Amino acid sequence: MATMKKLAVCALLLGSVFTIGTALAAGNKTIVTVVKLAGETWFTRMDQGVKDYGVKTAGVTTSEIGPGKADAAQQERLIEDLIARGVDAIAVVPFDPPMLEGVLKRAMDRGIKVMTHEANNLKNTQVDMEAFDNAAFGAHFNDQLADCMGKSGTWTSFVGSLGSLTHVQWADASAANAAKKYPDMKLVSAKNESFNDANTAYNKAKELLKKFPDLKGIEGGSAVDVIGIGRAVEEAGLVGKICVYGIGMPNDTSRYLKSGAVNGISLWDPKDAGFVMNKIAHMLVDGTEFKEGMDLGVPGYNNMHVKQGPGKGIIVTGQAWIDVNKDNLDKYNF
Amino acid sequence: MQTSMAGLSGWLIRHPPLFTLLLIVLVSLVIGAISPQFWQMANLFDMARASVVTGLFGLGFLVVLAAGGIDMSFTAIAALLMYWLTTATAAYAPWMPMGVVLAAAAVGGMLLGMCNGLLVHYLKAPALIVTIGTQYVIRSFLLTFVGTELFVNIPMSIENFGKYEIWRVGTDNGSIAILPAYVLVLVVAAIVTWWILNRTLMGRAIFAIGGNSDIAERLGYDIRKVQVFAFAYSGLLAGIAGMLHVSSNRLANPFDLSGTEMGVIAAVVLGGARITGGSGTVAGTLLGVVLITLVNNVLILAGIPSTWQAFVVGCFIVLAGALFATREKR
Repeated sequence: MATMKKLAVCALLLGSVFTIGTALAAGNKTIVTVVKLAGETWFTRMDQGVKDYGVKTAGVTTSEIGPGKADAAQQERLIEDLIARGVDAIAVVPFDPPMLEGVLKRAMDRGIKVMTHEANNLKNTQVDMEAFDNAAFGAHFNDQLADCMGKSGTWTSFVGSLGSLTHVQWADASAANAAKKYPDMKLVSAKNESFNDANTAYNKAKELLKKFPDLKGIEGGSAVDVIGIGRAVEEAGLVGKICVYGIGMPNDTSRYLKSGAVNGISLWDPKDAGFVMNKIAHMLVDGTEFKEGMDLGVPGYNNMHVKQGPGKGIIVTGQAWIDVNKDNLDKYNF
Repeated sequence: MQTSMAGLSGWLIRHPPLFTLLLIVLVSLVIGAISPQFWQMANLFDMARASVVTGLFGLGFLVVLAAGGIDMSFTAIAALLMYWLTTATAAYAPWMPMGVVLAAAAVGGMLLGMCNGLLVHYLKAPALIVTIGTQYVIRSFLLTFVGTELFVNIPMSIENFGKYEIWRVGTDNGSIAILPAYVLVLVVAAIVTWWILNRTLMGRAIFAIGGNSDIAERLGYDIRKVQVFAFAYSGLLAGIAGMLHVSSNRLANPFDLSGTEMGVIAAVVLGGARITGGSGTVAGTLLGVVLITLVNNVLILAGIPSTWQAFVVGCFIVLAGALFATREKR
């Protein structure tokens, strides 16, 4: 019975949302954001930015949709539906970029504006937005690590696997940064593979601590690396003696950030990315020109770098990483 | 000299686990010579800790292998139960004591294992193919219906279980090494498995059917009962192994454990069990697990760059396997 009631309330709510939506859409431009997976923490957070743009900007209606499971074919079908509905612009976070080439081309042929995020290998897009340059992100990790280590001592790095291109780019850029700026920092046994498994990262971190008793810094590559490394540091009673930085998710890493076993994580905020994606889509609808160094009005996206993409479109890149540590952890609930 | 060599190899043939032990000593000496950090208590503790999940999987695989089958689905069973039970306990019964959760995992694993056994028996298909199939089905079920996200807010009872300590020592660089209590689970499982294989009628039936199922059937052994038992036992240990993985890892990741079955199979075979069935010992399997864990966990100590690590492990397995093969031919 309770379930029936809940369902009825949901249906009512949904109905009212649609009515308001259509009423507003009469004179408004419609921008729809298509994500990899509906309901995932990352994209729930992105939805806040998407909604925010619609609320703060006159003349547009924004919404976010995504398949119920991470599947390129389902994502393609959602975009087909949007083409049939005749929306003004589509912003996509592709699950598998090459799989969407065809459907995005059809969208553009129908006059729908197309922008993408995290798909710098996609040809059929007008603008691809990247939160940051991977080399700059890697160097940023290393600068944080160096500050914590007092710019000297032994350090090492992790990657999800040697086949994960972005992880290897970050680790290599970190190493290059240290070699250039911090002559007293010594990199040992670089690019340890965690295979995206926190337990493997833990085992390898323990082994590294045995092999290099003077180890002072560790950089994580995959999002679970710092969790495993943090546990190893905590168990060895070395909190505060070893600096740990890496990519990670605030909620997943929070306990180790609070205990100090992980000093800091960096990532880009999906909320800001969602906002900026809609801003770019809106600019495409309005026909605004994309200039080098333009300001999109969100911190980290104030000085956009514009370059030619693999197809006719362009790639715009920001410097939008955020650094999360135990002091600002509360601000990022995702 | 000639005769003493022949005598030695003859002795090794009669006691396969000793051959594994010899390899362990050899690897330890080589690594110890390269890196003196190898000889410390912390390393022994880490090795014991890292052996637990592989060891439980290995014991289950040993029983299935001895009965003439092969199980490829145990990591999927472990992953499903660990993720499902952890998220469900956290959502509905965070007060549930770890003992109950472990029992539920054991029962769940046993039921899934029984399905494997029944399928293998009634389809008359090779166990390899059937269990590769069920591995896909179970994994896909987990990712489609249960969840794909990393789960970190595991119930305190599960987390605390992984934190119980037997022994704690300080090391030279001011850090602490801990031997966790959950290694005792592997000890208990090893004793029970030994007892089943060597002291019960079921154990005798397992080796008889694994050796030659036609003859065993004529002798009156119930093949269905033995097959279902072997797979159920493997599933039971897999369920427990999954919960221990979560408990020590302090998080449940549905993508974990996948791909680790190859290391387990290598461990059991390097422990002296024939891949064709009908043989194998608990001591040998445990030594095989120690050997594989050792090789996997000393590469950084040996100073091997990460790009070469998989290569070295692969070469070692081929070499050790070849040594075993020559041993069996004699």
